[in-house]
Amino acid sequence: MSGVHVIAVRRAGMCDLVIDLGRPGFGHLGVPRGGAADPCAMAAANRLVGNDVTAAGLEIIGTGPALHFPSGGVVALTGSRFAASRDNGVAVSWNEPLVLDAGETLDLAKALEGYRCWLALRGGLAVPQVMGSRSTFLPAGFGGQQGRALRAGDSLTLGAATGEMRRLRACPPFPRRTHLRVVSGPQTGRFDDAGLAAFFTEAYRVEQASDRRGLRLSGTALTHGRTDIRSQGVLPGAVQVPPDGQPIILGWDGPVTGGYPVIAGVITADWPLLAQLKPGDEVRFATVELEVAQALAATDWEIGEPA
Amino acid sequence: MRSAATQEPVFPKWHWVTERGLQVETGEQTLIRYEWLLARALPEVEAIIPADESLLIVLKPGTSVSASLRALLAAPLTDASLNVGRLHEITVRYGGEAGPDLEALAERAGLRSPEWIAQHAAVEYRVEFLGFQPGFPYLSGLPEPLWAPRRDQPRVRVPAGSLAIGGRYTGIYPGEGPGGWQIVGHTDAVLFDPARGSPSLFSPGDRLRFVAT
Repeated sequence: MSGVHVIAVRRAGMCDLVIDLGRPGFGHLGVPRGGAADPCAMAAANRLVGNDVTAAGLEIIGTGPALHFPSGGVVALTGSRFAASRDNGVAVSWNEPLVLDAGETLDLAKALEGYRCWLALRGGLAVPQVMGSRSTFLPAGFGGQQGRALRAGDSLTLGAATGEMRRLRACPPFPRRTHLRVVSGPQTGRFDDAGLAAFFTEAYRVEQASDRRGLRLSGTALTHGRTDIRSQGVLPGAVQVPPDGQPIILGWDGPVTGGYPVIAGVITADWPLLAQLKPGDEVRFATVELEVAQALAATDWEIGEPA
Repeated sequence: MRSAATQEPVFPKWHWVTERGLQVETGEQTLIRYEWLLARALPEVEAIIPADESLLIVLKPGTSVSASLRALLAAPLTDASLNVGRLHEITVRYGGEAGPDLEALAERAGLRSPEWIAQHAAVEYRVEFLGFQPGFPYLSGLPEPLWAPRRDQPRVRVPAGSLAIGGRYTGIYPGEGPGGWQIVGHTDAVLFDPARGSPSLFSPGDRLRFVAT
């Protein structure tokens, strides 16, 4: 075992997924890119522990895992803050590297606000690459830890640490907006005025049946003339409306083609907000011009020496 | 080889699927335009996803439609021709437990089941696009008498390898899962295996024939 660093999953969370920046390039075969729901947050966590931004870490929602580090390790957390503890009693901080002593257990009990956090581990999780990525793709059961979420009793192996290790601190861009920004969709014109008015002025609730394939919303039904449209290519953020009129925001592991009208599309710059929505939350939408949205590339986090 | 029909530089209709997906209406030229654009490998294009008579051109974050992409979308396809895709022979058990909807579909078409099967297996199909599940082919070429709407109540569990009818398409479910198409048969062919060098058995433009056992 010398030189091989293993982490033991003492308790699994609600859905802990091995994740990286996804597997681009297979959309034409029906495989979505997937990857971290907030790629900038995952990349920032990796940079904090000296990893390449493409290293695999964990995406954790709601209630997190308890991870045992027999030989210690260096980790970093970004995203939603969780009630978290470690054996040596030192507070578990976000947005900076944490040095865990040999034999410590890091316990990420539950989200205090928001829904998702990302854990980077120095060296990266050494699961095999599948189609160029270590991301778990649950809908088809491949990638990550044997194509599934972590389970108690799993052993995770770390890769060799290569990058330089420094004392760093990350400054997350705080998206304190209350509305998800959207651009018009290909079938916006199919919806009646009442439906469009409801979509842009009323609150919609995130339903329990939501996951990385899609956020199912409930609220005023959005009616459209025809329910049957030709299958079209879709992307995460596209808001599809099935015949029952209740919108679904397609998620990171959603299908690459869809047969329901798309009323609008959540812009990529608002993925950090989308990633933190949980069942029971309310969402509201606001339009933004296409050109504005395209200029708002996802923001890389600022990372530097601590003050 | 089939020649492209259009001679005029016609600017296609487009829409946006979020700010990164340019949906271009390509009609019957979808596959030929797909291959043609792929071959030109524009730097701002992250992916191109063919669908039902449209292409979704996925732009890299922070980019917009360049003048060259605009020009390529409007350019006539005078010198382009569709590559002849690989031909696959797929062995199918039609009907019975493998195809619980076959009898109802045959009745609907005014055919006896063996006649329905003979018509389905008589023609060559083309993979227009893949979607819904990894490796799920939407196959064009289904004889019109065999067209049939999706089931009113989707099945909760459709077995992997199920051969199905959805509207004017026939398709095969690569993995087990929920599904609303009419199930007419089953194949043992493995359509999608992420561990294979080519994970998907089929690519857009491939051709298929079904062989009844």
